[in-house]
Amino acid sequence: MDNLSIYLKLGWRNLWFHPLRTVLTSAALAVGIAALTFLSAMDDGWMQQIKTNFALTVTGHIQIHAAGFEDSRKLSQRIESPEQVITSISSEAGIQAIAQRVRVSGLASSAGSNAGAFIYGVEPEKEKAISRLASFVNKGSWLPDGDERGAVLGDVLADRLSVAMGDKLVLMAAVPGGDIASEVFRVRGLLHSGVMEVDDMIVIVPLKTAQHWLGLGGAVTDIVIRADSFEQVTPMADGIKSMLSAQVLNGTDHKGLSSGQILETLRWNDIDPMAEQWADFADAYTWIVLLIVIVVVLVEVLNTMLMSMHERVREFGLMGALGVMPAQVFAMVIWETVILVLIGGLAGFVIGGGLSLWYGQQGIDLSQFAVAFSFMYMDPVIHPVLELDSMLRILGAAIIGAMIAGLIPAWKASKLEPVHALREL
Amino acid sequence: MSDTLISASGLTRYYESGEMKVAALAGVDLTIERGAYVVLAGRSGSGKTTLLNMLGGLDRPDTGSLVIAGDDVLVKSTSERAAFRLHHLGFVFQSYNLIRVLSARENVAYVLQLQGMEKKERFALADHWMAEVGLQGFENRRPDQMSGGQQQRVAVARALASNPDLVLADEPTANLDSHTGESLMALMRRLNEQQGTTFVIASHDPAVIASARTLVNMQDGQIVSVEGKDIEAVKGDTVS
Ligand SMILES: Nc1ncnc2c1ncn2[C@@H]1O[C@H](COP(=O)(O)OP(=O)(O)OP(=O)(O)O)[C@@H](O)[C@H]1O
Ligand SMILES: [Mg+2]
Repeated sequence: MDNLSIYLKLGWRNLWFHPLRTVLTSAALAVGIAALTFLSAMDDGWMQQIKTNFALTVTGHIQIHAAGFEDSRKLSQRIESPEQVITSISSEAGIQAIAQRVRVSGLASSAGSNAGAFIYGVEPEKEKAISRLASFVNKGSWLPDGDERGAVLGDVLADRLSVAMGDKLVLMAAVPGGDIASEVFRVRGLLHSGVMEVDDMIVIVPLKTAQHWLGLGGAVTDIVIRADSFEQVTPMADGIKSMLSAQVLNGTDHKGLSSGQILETLRWNDIDPMAEQWADFADAYTWIVLLIVIVVVLVEVLNTMLMSMHERVREFGLMGALGVMPAQVFAMVIWETVILVLIGGLAGFVIGGGLSLWYGQQGIDLSQFAVAFSFMYMDPVIHPVLELDSMLRILGAAIIGAMIAGLIPAWKASKLEPVHALREL
Repeated sequence: MSDTLISASGLTRYYESGEMKVAALAGVDLTIERGAYVVLAGRSGSGKTTLLNMLGGLDRPDTGSLVIAGDDVLVKSTSERAAFRLHHLGFVFQSYNLIRVLSARENVAYVLQLQGMEKKERFALADHWMAEVGLQGFENRRPDQMSGGQQQRVAVARALASNPDLVLADEPTANLDSHTGESLMALMRRLNEQQGTTFVIASHDPAVIASARTLVNMQDGQIVSVEGKDIEAVKGDTVS
């Protein structure tokens, strides 16, 4: 410990022996670390936004289906007793809301034309707590309570069908058994989500009407769950899975009701593999940022340290003569480098963190590029988020960079033979 | 009482320079008693620094044996020699003796800290030695705020503060004016007499040579004569 204090004292004072050099080096470092901290915060903000937007636009955090429905999308694979399932899982911690849906592909026809559609039968009030669909309505209104034949559809689809508020809309879909059934609705609202497949394809109708029309009785295709936070999704899904599979094994659930149906429980990121790719992409991005941190530190610091070593050859020789061990000289130079990097790095953190916080409040408006971003469930305004994990990773990378940058000068300094070093001059 | 501190025999050290093989030390036998004050004199290139470096464990001879304070210096590893220097030797070099970012007190205390002495104790001892070399009041000065002579005095204080068996000084007066040089030598002589610390000093400065109790003259890497009042303290196998 006493030794550490020598290293820190010598390192600190040696750095300030050439204040200008140290200031310039740490300023360059600060700019680099600030930029990278900010980029990383943007990435984190962007990822959070994508996760939220993706999961909550339509999907929800967790979906329960009859086993195989995710692949087949056939109404024959449906949850026969959704209320029982909901009752048995509702004890799971962290559930914010649960809703049921019927989901089917079909054809939407207006007076003039027709188009393919994703038809969602939803519980109008509960759906609001599950997804953002209701919030996207920008003309008319969300499905009014008690309006059994109301429909809300994507604005692009409405354009394609040339329907306006109050117009008639006929939906057709295959029912279990193979027949085609149709039902008449009235357009009550249009929505714009910015996500192409939603705006182009979606038609939302009341769950009860859809069940009746499609001959499903009380069955649904999806039970959709919203968790309190993303962190809870995986443990919650695991909990639900084991709860449901235990019931299947027993043939009855713990309340003695016969359910016995095999169900699948999927997290939002299981449902669309794209989501997984985004996460991988964000990870790759993080690694690139960290690598750049190391390179920036190396480039900025190595030269400064070599210069500083060079002018102190005699001093290292003197220390060696006095009895300082090579390992101590090595540690001393490494410490000096780490201190230099910490000065610049912390300044960079403060600047980059400050910018991130400021823009986290203000948002960065990228609406010029919004069309491209909307495919990716991105808002045109990014809010950088400072995550402790990311900051610590950057700090770690900076220190690793410092150590690597310090290695060469430290090695050189520790290998100096006092006899030779002292003869120099 | 005779008590051998240094016992060297058959020391040789060769340097290759191109085709030529230069003998910096061409067979030196030397015995020095504790408490001696020896000046190694001789023309430039005669091997003074080389011999001093051997005695300081900074350089290894090609052949020969060397025992200091009962320790066979030549069988030691690099780090063992570093530890040996730290605990047994003090050094005063020609210039740049001090660590530039440390104050005079801290420079003196540095070696004590490496030896593991507590802060309070080492600063007190450093201040004592600063006073001893006549630099009371200069404790907080950095090397660049002191004259060359003052810096050399700080080096002497540092060398003696750790209570070494042997102080080695290479051309300690080379960068000093003659008056300052003389007073530095007077200081070293006084400390030799007061403390009984053994000094071996390499120099061709007449003022240093004049301060010698024993003078060892070197030429071409060999000892050519040993003279002085205290001739008993040194046995050199002279070659002439
Ligand atoms: N590193 C080296 N490489 C080659 N030759 C060397 C080296 N060090 C010393 N020598 C040679 O060894 C001989 C003795 O040198 P040394 O430095 O010991 O002499 P010196 O008596 O201290 O001289 P000076 O009074 O100039 O300091 C000289 O011929 C010198 O050139
Ligand atoms: Mg010399």
